Amino acid sequence: MSLIGALNVGASGLAAAQASIQVTGNNIANAGNADYTREISSLSTASDQQLTPGIFIGNGVDLTAVKRQVDDALQVRLNSSISDNQSAVTTQQWLSRVQSTFNALSGNDLSSQMSSFFNGWSNLANKPADVGLRQVVLQNGDSLAKTFQSTHTQLNGLLSDVGQTLQTQTQAADALASQIATLNGQIVVAEGGGGGESNALRDQRDAVIKKLSGLMNVQTVQQPNGVVNVYVGSNPLVFGTQSNGVAIKQQSANGQITTSVAFKSNNATMNVTSGELGSLASVSTQINAVIGQVNMLAHNLVFELNKIHANGQGLAGFTSTTSTNPVTDPTAALKSPGANLPFTPVNGSFVVHVRQKSTGLVTSTLVPVQLTGAPTDSTLNSLATSLSTINGLSATVSNGKLTISATSSTSDFTFSQDTSGTLAALGINTFFTGTGASDIAVNATVSNQPQLIAAARNGNATDNQTAVTIAALGGQSLAALGGNSLDESYQRIVNTIGNQTAAATTQAQASQAVQQTLQSQHESTSGVSLDEEMVNLMKQQTAYQGAARLITTVNTMMQELMALVR
Amino acid sequence: MSISGVQLARVSNLLVSGSMKARIQDNQQQLYKLETELSTGKVVNVPSDNPGAAAIIMQLQKTLEQRSGYSTNLDAANSQLSEVDSTLNDLTSLVQQAVSTASANVGSDVTPAQRASAAQIVQSLSNQLLSVANKQFNGQYLFGGDKSDAAPFVVGTAGVQFNGSTTVIHNQIDNGASVPTSVSATDVFGALSGSVTGSTNLGPRLQTTTRIADLIGTTGNGVKLGSIQIGNGTTTKLVDLSGASNLGDAINDINAAGLGNISAQLTLSGNGLQLVTSGTDNITVQDVGGGNTAQSLGILRTTGAGAGQPLVGTNPVARVTDLTALADLRGGAGIDTTNGFTITNGGNSATINLSVATTVEDLLNAVNGAGIGVTAAINATGDGIDIRNSTQGATMTIAEHGGTTAADLGVRSFGPVTPLSQLNGGKGIGTVAGADFQVTDSAGATFMVDLGSGQQTVQDVINAINAAATTAGVTGVTAAFAATGNGITLADTAGGAGTITVTPQNFSTAAADLGLTVPARGNTIRGADVNAVAVDGLFSDLTALQKALQANDRTAITAAGSALQADQARVANTRGAVGAHLQEVNNRKNRLADENLATHSMLSTLQDTDFTTAVTDFQTLQTALQATLQTAAKTLQLNLMNFLG
Repeated sequence: MSLIGALNVGASGLAAAQASIQVTGNNIANAGNADYTREISSLSTASDQQLTPGIFIGNGVDLTAVKRQVDDALQVRLNSSISDNQSAVTTQQWLSRVQSTFNALSGNDLSSQMSSFFNGWSNLANKPADVGLRQVVLQNGDSLAKTFQSTHTQLNGLLSDVGQTLQTQTQAADALASQIATLNGQIVVAEGGGGGESNALRDQRDAVIKKLSGLMNVQTVQQPNGVVNVYVGSNPLVFGTQSNGVAIKQQSANGQITTSVAFKSNNATMNVTSGELGSLASVSTQINAVIGQVNMLAHNLVFELNKIHANGQGLAGFTSTTSTNPVTDPTAALKSPGANLPFTPVNGSFVVHVRQKSTGLVTSTLVPVQLTGAPTDSTLNSLATSLSTINGLSATVSNGKLTISATSSTSDFTFSQDTSGTLAALGINTFFTGTGASDIAVNATVSNQPQLIAAARNGNATDNQTAVTIAALGGQSLAALGGNSLDESYQRIVNTIGNQTAAATTQAQASQAVQQTLQSQHESTSGVSLDEEMVNLMKQQTAYQGAARLITTVNTMMQELMALVR
Repeated sequence: MSISGVQLARVSNLLVSGSMKARIQDNQQQLYKLETELSTGKVVNVPSDNPGAAAIIMQLQKTLEQRSGYSTNLDAANSQLSEVDSTLNDLTSLVQQAVSTASANVGSDVTPAQRASAAQIVQSLSNQLLSVANKQFNGQYLFGGDKSDAAPFVVGTAGVQFNGSTTVIHNQIDNGASVPTSVSATDVFGALSGSVTGSTNLGPRLQTTTRIADLIGTTGNGVKLGSIQIGNGTTTKLVDLSGASNLGDAINDINAAGLGNISAQLTLSGNGLQLVTSGTDNITVQDVGGGNTAQSLGILRTTGAGAGQPLVGTNPVARVTDLTALADLRGGAGIDTTNGFTITNGGNSATINLSVATTVEDLLNAVNGAGIGVTAAINATGDGIDIRNSTQGATMTIAEHGGTTAADLGVRSFGPVTPLSQLNGGKGIGTVAGADFQVTDSAGATFMVDLGSGQQTVQDVINAINAAATTAGVTGVTAAFAATGNGITLADTAGGAGTITVTPQNFSTAAADLGLTVPARGNTIRGADVNAVAVDGLFSDLTALQKALQANDRTAITAAGSALQADQARVANTRGAVGAHLQEVNNRKNRLADENLATHSMLSTLQDTDFTTAVTDFQTLQTALQATLQTAAKTLQLNLMNFLG
């Protein structure tokens, strides 16, 4: 036992207190840093010295570690809750936008436009020859078509926005994955397998993993050497110091493009189910489905309405008309893929009436459309040939379009009784042109000549049977829509989005509660409490003062001792 | 969303500030939502606010929108029917005036001069009637049916011709309910046409090109194609006929099924489908899945007739359409297209030449385009052709032109088969006890003809005349029906110096009623057509009254007067019907208003903000936010450092 030994004890106390004050100071300095993990200096008694057998004397204090206060299991749960919450919030945001493109419940949406349009036809039935009412039908038809188009454009815009965001966020995820790999390397080097922890680097890595969790669902596996491996599903995204990278993969199936997230290294699809990326990928699929449904609605509106309209007659007949939907191959059966018509006609027939303008007398001819799958099935060319044999008509095919003309200026022609849907499929005597939501429009033929709007079915000028039938089309159950009516189909689309949005909202709220609860638990363990640090600071300050006093005392003792020698 | 109450061991500064932020954020979100509800007045602004309610709201909005369409139609129907009603009111008084004129002038104390001046009044009534009949409302002729873009009544040389349509347009006024927007001119102005209703069933023979849509079906409800099950005694096969457009397609479908040696075809005479076998199949055909395809096609046979026996179906009966070939009519017997027929209407006459006609439409066009005020159309049941005289004041006859065309079509207005009771506008022929008339041939031989003993048709009369001649031993006279034109002919072959004559006996009117009191031309008496088709309507009755007054004919005045009374009753009936429609329209309007009210209130319950709750909630939230803010301010200030010296 010596005074020098006592001096050393004092020195160890000084050093320990100083280090602890630095740790406390670091905690205080990072009190506002959300990524920071509270550290605690851990002190231990220095190994004692045996004075005489059985007598041990303390040798001061050792700073053994500066430990991060972190609950690793909680961290994993927190990260996964962040993924879930980000996913729900993102889904809710995008679906709300999809929902708002429909403007439902406003009394000014697609559904109301359809009502006005069909009401216009109903009103035309009151006075079928009225030019004003015909104009109303045209205007309502035009605004309905434009609403379809703008809905389609907006949905497509949203889809491309989602795609863009997905692109950006994928790049972000890729960068984060590389950062984790880099940090893994730095941590291994810094810690050098010595058992200590490089707190600052680990804090950085945890922050990066948290950010990545917001983008996608990841699992982390801590390795003994300080490395954290990051998995997506069962596949590694970051393995040691190696990142497999994140990239976008686009696949086209049945004309629909599906976007998914993949590993950059081998282009294998990544099983991203959560986080912003997971949400964006599924939202993109949902928007695609909505676009498909809206297209389907427009497609059926066009075809079903045209089928009725094609069987009707306007106030005047045609002197010449050209089909609006071209066939690819005029020698292919009309319902075959070779003809490639947007609408499919069936086996049946229609009647062409050639009318002498002066007498009003009509000559009718049945035109069969054979589509039974036999080699003799009707083609556009054969149709033109059979139309040409009708006295007073000529029919030609050019660029896949059929043109029918009256051969004499004293006669015109009308159509009726089309059981095959051929006229509607080809686009003859139709009200709408186009095949879907993107290109639906009022046929220029009728908008230029409103008297060609077909309100009649029996050929009489003020008959209204076609108008009455069209007026009832909105509520008519349609086989092509699975027995639903046009109105019901629309409501179904909007209801589905409404339900999905509501579900996403609820989920966002629920997952946020979970995340906040976990976050508070995390803060409770790893967060800095200034009050606590203050107390620590005072405690450590006192310890420092005490150690300094010890040294002063030993020093005095040593001087006393020196004086004896003098 | 607030943090759930977890028990925390320690509280860090970031935890305090973080949870404060979350609470304030949450509070403000709720306030924002309430603010939206309060400012828009609606709880459900977008479907996701309440998907369940939104679905109902959308449906209710749709219903309201549909009803607004119906409401427009109701208003249109209301104004149009009101106009019809007031027009019919005018018409009633007009007819009343005519009836009074008739009864005032029927007495024996009225002088011819007074009747002549009354005739002037009736003439002016006629003119007024024309303007009422051609009344326009809102740019449409009220009584033009579905041809209301042109004046329906046009004065021609022969009389007043009806060019409109008797089909009245209907419009939807509610789900599944429609109302006519006017009345048929027939119901107002009486028979617009005297028609010769085709008496022959023209039902065409079936062809492979016969459209399924044109079949009446054995059930009379048309044919709706589905699947049928064909059996051959051992196995069965389902055949889907739903893609067939015509009978040929259906036959091909059955043949394509290839069950045993069974094949389908039309019967030889085209009166049905038949399934035959070249083997030993025992053919059965059944309907499946509640359909009635086989039944309506006439080939339903649940038990086979035996091995190798054919299945001969019953006739599913095709309708006559514009497109039906003339050769297919009458079950394939066709009609005489070589000779055509003659129509006389008023002073106009036209011979309908069918030598180039191939379809029914060609025939109809030939008649309709003849320009003599006569219209031809296929009848409602689709088995015959009606030819109508649409000119009031003219009489129409349809006669053969040397062949059998008119008889084939069943439209000969006067022929051997015409019942005697129909003649002379339904008055029949007047007979007496004893001989009705005497026929004297050119050689002076005579015989008496006594009618009224069981003769039903014109042919019976012809037979009676010939029998009487035979009985009396007169060989020079033969009675027959004209081959060209209509009438009984008495041909004299006695070769005497005189001319054949018919002399009424015992004051009988039979000879005159049969049209036989005309002078002989050469050696033949060509009897007149005594079954001309006249139109019995308001215009013709007024004209008749006017003529009777001018002619000072009291009997005719009485007849015209009673005819006008019938017209009056009909107009009154029609007005009653219009009144009923008007009432229906008004009831619907009221009901629609009630229903709208109910729908609006339901919509309001679902969609509108409950302001009491919303305002209360708003205030509670406001207080909560205030409390949070105050607590936050205080808590964040608290720090140990504040207390250390």
